[in-house]
Parts: sequence; structure tokens; C-alpha cells
Amino acid sequence: MKIIVCIKQLYHVYARTGMYPSEQFLEPEDKIPMVNPFDEVALEMGLRVKESLGQGEVTILTLGPIIAEPEVRRCLGMGANRLVQIEADQGMDPWRKAFFLARAIKEMGADLILCGKESLDRQSGQVGAYMAHRLGLPFVSAVVSLMTNPGTGTVEAERRAGRGVREIIKCSLPAVLSVDMGLEVRLPRFEDKQRAISVPLEKRVYSEKEAPARTLVRTIFSPRPRPKKVFTPDSRLEAFERIQQLLMGSRVEKRGSMLTGTVETQVDGILSFLKEHGFAGGVKE
Amino acid sequence: MLTSFDALLFAVAVVILGAGLAQWSSRWLLGQEEVRKGSLTTLLRYFLGSRKILKRPLQGSAHVLVFWGVLLPALVALVSQFRPRLPGTLSNLVSLFLDLLGAATLCALAFILVRRCTKRQEAGPKRTVVPVLVLLGIVVTGFLAQGARLSIVGAGFSRQSPVGALFSYVLPASPLLMQWMIRLHFFAVLFLLASLPFTFLRHLVAGSLNVYYKTRNLPGQLRNLSLRGDVPGAKRVSDFSWKQLLDAEACVSCGRCEENCPAAIAEKPLSPRKVIQSLQEQMQVSSSLLEQSVSNDEIWSCTTCMACVEHCPVFAEPLDKIMEMRRYRVMGQGALPSEAKAAIRNLLLYKDVYGKGIARRTDWALNRGVPSRSEQTEVLLWVGCSGAFHPRYQETARAMVKILKAGGIRFAILGKEELCCGDPARRLGEESIFAEIAEENIRRIKSHGFEKIVALCPHCFNTLKNEYPSLGGNFTVVHASEYLADMIRLNRIALKYSLPARVALHDPCYLGRGNGIYQPLREIGKAIPGATLLELPRNKEKGFCCGGGGGRMWLHEKPGKRMNLLRAEEVVQSGAEVLGTACPYCLTMLEDGLKNLETGKAPKVMDLVEIVASSIR
Repeated sequence: MKIIVCIKQLYHVYARTGMYPSEQFLEPEDKIPMVNPFDEVALEMGLRVKESLGQGEVTILTLGPIIAEPEVRRCLGMGANRLVQIEADQGMDPWRKAFFLARAIKEMGADLILCGKESLDRQSGQVGAYMAHRLGLPFVSAVVSLMTNPGTGTVEAERRAGRGVREIIKCSLPAVLSVDMGLEVRLPRFEDKQRAISVPLEKRVYSEKEAPARTLVRTIFSPRPRPKKVFTPDSRLEAFERIQQLLMGSRVEKRGSMLTGTVETQVDGILSFLKEHGFAGGVKE
Repeated sequence: MLTSFDALLFAVAVVILGAGLAQWSSRWLLGQEEVRKGSLTTLLRYFLGSRKILKRPLQGSAHVLVFWGVLLPALVALVSQFRPRLPGTLSNLVSLFLDLLGAATLCALAFILVRRCTKRQEAGPKRTVVPVLVLLGIVVTGFLAQGARLSIVGAGFSRQSPVGALFSYVLPASPLLMQWMIRLHFFAVLFLLASLPFTFLRHLVAGSLNVYYKTRNLPGQLRNLSLRGDVPGAKRVSDFSWKQLLDAEACVSCGRCEENCPAAIAEKPLSPRKVIQSLQEQMQVSSSLLEQSVSNDEIWSCTTCMACVEHCPVFAEPLDKIMEMRRYRVMGQGALPSEAKAAIRNLLLYKDVYGKGIARRTDWALNRGVPSRSEQTEVLLWVGCSGAFHPRYQETARAMVKILKAGGIRFAILGKEELCCGDPARRLGEESIFAEIAEENIRRIKSHGFEKIVALCPHCFNTLKNEYPSLGGNFTVVHASEYLADMIRLNRIALKYSLPARVALHDPCYLGRGNGIYQPLREIGKAIPGATLLELPRNKEKGFCCGGGGGRMWLHEKPGKRMNLLRAEEVVQSGAEVLGTACPYCLTMLEDGLKNLETGKAPKVMDLVEIVASSIR
């Protein structure tokens, strides 16, 4: 089985600052090159698949300049067989990244493509999905564990569906899976580290222009709750009640009501809600 | 005296002895190459002093008596074959001495025999009593022969051999009996000689050889790993060096290591004695893997406190065997306990074990006027990861700066150029990361031309002092406690403010057993006005480990009791109000332990540096 793991190299994010946090750090020493931890877990998953099958080849695919050479070599030492670097022009957005990665994957051919769920610095989480789209392959995101069914050409992926929900998805191969944190990343053995030093770097140079992205991330920001006016409580009230009023006043109330009962009563409930709020007032029965 | 038939028998015994020893030595010579120089003076001093074995006074003196009580008469007997002419008084003195020695040996052997037979099996090793019985037989037949001879002569009481004379009172004046006893005596000696390589008595040879080739380094020093070989560390017995295997052969399973091993005391799965014994068993079937006989739990229970090395009477070193096995499990198999992986990753990415990053390394010194290097700098203060990052130990680092400034020392710190010394990686078995970090450190220290280094942490101190030289970094390294003791002795700082408290001292392993630094701690303690110095029951060489060394700081303490609690109980019982120590790990572990005990008023744990700083205020 040919497995390709896409690995992103980035600078650690723990001390970024300023208007352009991807380039500005609190101190020069904070610019620590590393491999995206999600991708490391993806690599670990690929290696476990290879080991469970007893055969296979794991290729590390990375895009852009090698900024974290020791870390990439360490990843190789974990048990990967090949290291492929794509050299392409600067100014990458997820769409273009996916284009180049998909092209390299198409040329190399693979049964299983793994990548991290998102990167530590951009956290857009789009590349995997775009890549699957480009390749025309099925895509499962946020996979935490993988079971191979040898011979059937399928895998069963357990994915994190949010809020503690897990889904198990059967997926035919080849497929693109994006991997969430969960597996324990192994420590490279010494002999593998030594081997990894001499693994050649295979370069693929692409320079062609790509059609403009159909989606583009304009800005990434973390939304803050809208500030709410704090009213002045009635000074004649008891302290307890004043505090309670303040607390109530500063809380953002957002509560819906659940409809229960049979389907008929639920439909009635919706209809009465719509009428009450004037959405369906004009409709006559 | 010797007939030719006797000489023949003697020759046969010697041949069997030689063949047995040759066969035995092939067992440990299969180890890896290692250059060792022997030292006869060490061996002689060892035999004459018997310091190590007398640490257990009763059993030790019995052992010493048996050793000399067998060796000296044997030598005299051998020499007397050549019929040397001695003046009468001298020969009488020799005879008297041998007689008394024989009696003492007899008592010692009886004591040992009783101990052997009554000792509980689980407490001590399984041992055979046959060699003891043979020895006893030799001494008894010797006395019986002597008694019979005196009885034949009919001299009554003899001054030259009072004990033999006692025997002569009850023995008939029978030449036949005398002849029989002499025969028996001779055959027993021959039997002992020939059986030496096959019973545990071969520790005579193994132990002596091991002392002859004794490590002249300090205990706890690790073998440098050549990072070129295929298998790092020890996968099979044959991956140890021949000296390490000889070490294991010298072990007679006396159990002194186990009695002092903090892991064994805390009921963890590790016993250094068992490790060495299973190595001995493995050497007979050398192809099997070590992991089958020594479990991961055993290996990771070790705190590298060096108690086993310190207390071994034949200088065997269970510690470096455990470390070799750790190296193989980590570097050869990648089987580092998962909780410690974070520490190793931190070391790789941020070059410190706390994972804060190089940029944060000088935060503790912010706005405190800590000088960075300049032309006049005499001393480099090596802060270490704990001093730089651990919130509690940062206080100690600041206290150290205060003292150095008060003493007018021209010192500096490396600041952001300092990296972790590499000790955690090395003790966790990751030799390649250690080598990487250490070489970078050496390069940086050298590039600034520092020669004298004061290290705040005993682990850094040990690494810089004892482990960097083999990587090319020869610096004069002293520990903060030594340096402060010197400053106090030279009156460079005045200790004005008193600390009216009972101060107990906890010896850090890497300072005490590792480098023999016990006295400076006590000197500092005595110099503090108002302080009463207390010794904990387990102190100095017997000092109990806090449980944080050897990478254990980054591992879970799962099986058994917690070592820091055991030590904390001891501290509370001693009635100390302040516990002085000199190591960040000890400080953290014991503070933790004392808080966990939840006694009314827990003793305050302070680094000696802090105690001194509070006194110069």
C-alpha cells in the first residue's frame, strides 16, 4: 500500500505578535521551526497502517522550502521511506496548496493520503478537503483512528464529529483523510534516525499558473462577544438583588425552546411559533 | 612433608582450578572491548583496609576474619614447604598468631553458618552452605591435627598454640588420628581449591579482579556510547563491556545494594541485586534478550541515586547496567514511557526540559541587574533549566545572584545562550540528544572563554564536571554549595542575620555520592548564626534519594510507595524546622512530600543558597 502523508513546516505559534503574527515574534529566538503536530499524528497513523499490513511505503510530502530540516528528518526517522519536496512559487493559499499537492500525489500515485486536520498556524483546515476534491477522492476529516480491511479495498475511519460525538465511516480506497490529535507519536529509534539522515530529498518543481481560487480566506480572526451595555441597577433594591440584576444584565441570553410530543403536536407548535412572530400570519387555512 | 603423591594431587587440583577459571572467564570476556588499566595499589588498599565490607560491622568483620584466617595460614603452609630457617621466637610468634587467628576464624565461620541457615529466604539470596562447611572442616581438622600432635608430644599447655592445647586435653595421643586429620585437612583444602570456580567462592577471583580494574571515575558515571554502532545500549548480555560483565560476576548477592536502594525501599519492582543476578543467569545462556529477564518497570524505577554503587563491597555497578538497558529500550526500540516523551520533545524544540523556550531563559533575571559576560568576568554562573524556569527555583537563582553580588564576585550568566546541560536526556537513555546538546553547550562556553563555572544544580554540575570532559569540554566546575562554603571561609560575605531554627540537611545524590561533596553543606549550615544543625538518620553516603533524579522527574511514580513521602516522614520525625538541600529536584520533591503529609507545621524546605541569602539580607 502506498501511503502519502502531507507535512507542513511552520514556525511555532506560542509567541507570535503584532499585525502579521506569522512573521512577527516576541523575540527572535521564538521563531522555532517545527512540523505541524497534526501532521505528525497523521504520519503516525500512516505508519501504523503500514505496520498492521506488514508492507507498504510511506512517503512524506512537503510543500515549500525546507525550514525545519531536523524535524523533518526526525519524522523520516519515525519510519517513513521517502521525502518529497514540492518547490513552487510563493504566496500560497489553501486552494493553490491543494493544487500543487494534488498534482504531486497524482503523479506519484497513492492508495491512502493523510494530512493533519489543520495546521497550527493558519488553522484553516481546508487543504485536505480541496485536495480530495482535486483528486476526485472520498474525504473524511478529523480521523482519530483507522482500521484497515485488507483485501476489500476499504478502511473504517473513526472521526471526531464534535461535542464528544464519534462517527465510524467506511470509506473506499484510495481516499484522503485528515487526522485529528489522538494517537501517541512515536520516538524515532536511533538506527532509524541514522538512516533518515541519508534519505535523499526528492524535489518536484512546479511553476505553472493556477486558475484563481474559487474560495479565498480573506481574514482569520477570533470573534469576540459583542459588548453589552451594563445598566445601572436600582439603588433602592437590596444588594443581593442589585448584584443579581447586574449579572442578569451582562449575560447574553440565547435560549430556544425544544418541542416535545408527537409529530402532530410538534407541527402545531411550529405553526403557532411562526404565527406568533408574524412569519406565517398571512396564510389562511 | 609433601609426598610426591600429594604433590600430584595438588597439581590436579590446580589444573582443575585453572580450567574452571578459564571456562568461567570466557563467560564475561565475550563482552565488548573496553580499555581498562588495573591498579595493584587499589587492590592492596582494598584488602588491607576492608573499608567497604566493614560498613556492616558484624558480618563484615566475620568476612574479613574468614578471608585472612584462610589466606594467611595457607601462605604460611606454602612457605613452610621450603623449610625456611626462622629464629625460635619468631616462629613461636607466628605459631601463636596463627593459632589465635584460627580460633577467631572458627568463631566467624560458625557465625556465618548460623546466619546462612537461619536467614529468611526472601530477605537474602539463595545460597549454598557447602563452601562454608568445607572451610569449617578445614579449620576444625587443622585444630584436631594440632591437638593430636600436642597430645602425642605430651607437653601439656603450650604457649605457642593455646587453642590447639585445649584440643589436646580431650584427644587421645594417637598418631593414627593425627595422620587422618592431616589427610582430611589436606584433602579439604584441595577440594576447596578445585571447586573454587564452580561455587560462589569464585567471588574471591572475580571480586579481586573487579577491584583491580575498578572504575577510577566517580560512581554513577556512564560509559560513553559510540554513536556509530548498530545497537545502542544493551540488547543482549554480550552488548555490555567485559568489565561490566566482570562486575556482574563479582556479585555474591549480599543485598547491600537492595538495602540502600530507594526504589527497593519504596517497594517498587526494582532491586539492583536482582538485576545483577539475572544478568549472571543470562550470561550462561548469552543469546537470550535482556528484556525477557529485566522488565521495563524495573528499569524505569531507578533514580540513578548511586546508592547501589556506593554500597557494593566489590565495586560492582548495577547502575550503569540499568542505564545501558535504558539506552537500548529508548534508542533501540523507541520505548520511552509516554509521559517522558514531552520532555524529550521539549529538549529538541526549545532546548530546555520545561518547554518554555530560549527566549524566556532570562526572565528570572529581568530587572535584577544580573550581569552578562564582559571582560572582567571571572566566573560563569550556570543557572540550569530549573533555575531559569521553575518558579520555585527561580527564587534560588535570584538568591544566588544576591550573594555573589554581596561578595563582590565578578560573575556573569550565559543568558539566552545557555541550553539544558543534557542530563535529563542522558538519564532517560537518549544519548544522541545528550551528545548534540552537550557539544553545542561546550562550543558556546568555549567561545566566550569561560574557565570557571559555578553550577546551581547538582545535576548540571555533575554533567559539566564529569561528563563534558569526554566530549572535549574541560572546565573548572564547582557547585554553588562549594563556592558559598569557600566564600564564607574566606570571609567574602558576612552572615549577619540569624536563623533560629533546627536545620536538617538532605544530601543530594549527585552532590554527595556522585561527587563526594558532603562537607560544604555542613560548613554552610554551621556558619548560619542561630541555626542548629541536624543530621537525618539516613545521611551522607546513606542519604535517601528524593525520587526526582535519573529522569524520574518526568515520569509517573506508579508502582510502590512514593520516595519523597518516605523521606518527608523522616524529616518530620527528626523534628527539623527547616530542611536545607542544594538541588532543585530535591527541593521540589521534598516540598511536595512534606505538603502531602499534611502534618501540623511542616518543615520549610529551602535551598542552602536561600538560607545564606536570607542571612546576608
